[in-house]
Amino acid sequence: MIAAILLLLVTTGAPDASMSVGPPQGRPMSGAALDTRTVEVASLIRCPVCQGMSIADSPSEMAVNMKHQVRALLERGYTQDQILDYFERSYGQFVLLKPRFQGVNALVWLLPLVALAIGAAIVVAKAKRLQKPSDPATQRPSDPYLDQVRNLVSGGKP
Amino acid sequence: MNRTVLFVGFFIAVAVIGVLFVGLGKDPQVIDSPLIGHAAPPFALKAVGSGETINLAQFRGRPVVLNFWATWCGPCYEEHPTLVANARQMQPSVQFLGVVFQDTEDQIQKFLNERGNAYPTVIDDAGKTAIAYGVGGVPETFFLDKNGTIVAKFAGPLNTETLQSYLQKAMKQ
Repeated sequence: MIAAILLLLVTTGAPDASMSVGPPQGRPMSGAALDTRTVEVASLIRCPVCQGMSIADSPSEMAVNMKHQVRALLERGYTQDQILDYFERSYGQFVLLKPRFQGVNALVWLLPLVALAIGAAIVVAKAKRLQKPSDPATQRPSDPYLDQVRNLVSGGKP
Repeated sequence: MNRTVLFVGFFIAVAVIGVLFVGLGKDPQVIDSPLIGHAAPPFALKAVGSGETINLAQFRGRPVVLNFWATWCGPCYEEHPTLVANARQMQPSVQFLGVVFQDTEDQIQKFLNERGNAYPTVIDDAGKTAIAYGVGGVPETFFLDKNGTIVAKFAGPLNTETLQSYLQKAMKQ
């Protein structure tokens, strides 16, 4: 009951990031550094109403609002991880342009490596097979006439 | 070698069919929100018309239908009569609340005057509340149980049947 009353008194305006990711863990930013960092962090967040664009690149109003949110959080001292975490808690991993190395998403990183390893194994196996001396059973049968020709060519006696 | 090619081809085909089966079998309007099962992000926003501050927490104790919409959104026109009719029928045992973002108060007031106004509508300046709820496009509706926990999210225009089925879920909690 007390918690509900406190929430009623404390909460004004929109939901605050501190309620989901805690207090800022970095240093507040300002000026040109803030502008640069805003673009860097915004380029890691997917615009939810666009096709594969980051909120740094999208001109949509939703993306612009999200970018403002990123800027405001950086200004308050939130770190990149905290900001990505904040957006992920609302939108899910879909919002991250670089999926995290965990769960099914780890396959995105692992599958190319597995494919590369399989390809390399096939190439090595093929190369080994080419280098291997041919099976005597598959060699041509001895021909006295050809043997004689080979001896002549190599300078041997007939 | 032929056997290897066949095996790899089979593996790729199974993977593609699996992805398609999982992806196409889903209803695109049912979105797996990470907020489902969690407390709804609290907010206190200005109501259209009255100007009073409406706090989500004041509705604790009854299910809430939280509808994000805007006057520039076509499907919101389609959905509005359903929400108004159900709100008139079910309030106060269920609370309906509209959250409008990327819009102006004049436009919202005009829309409500013309199309019915059965429940409070608040303005989400800068879309911060929409972002906290992971809203992509409007309309999107969240169903909260009496404890303020999000039990479901629906993207797209609601009809009475869908709304009622989600509400049943919210009322069961």
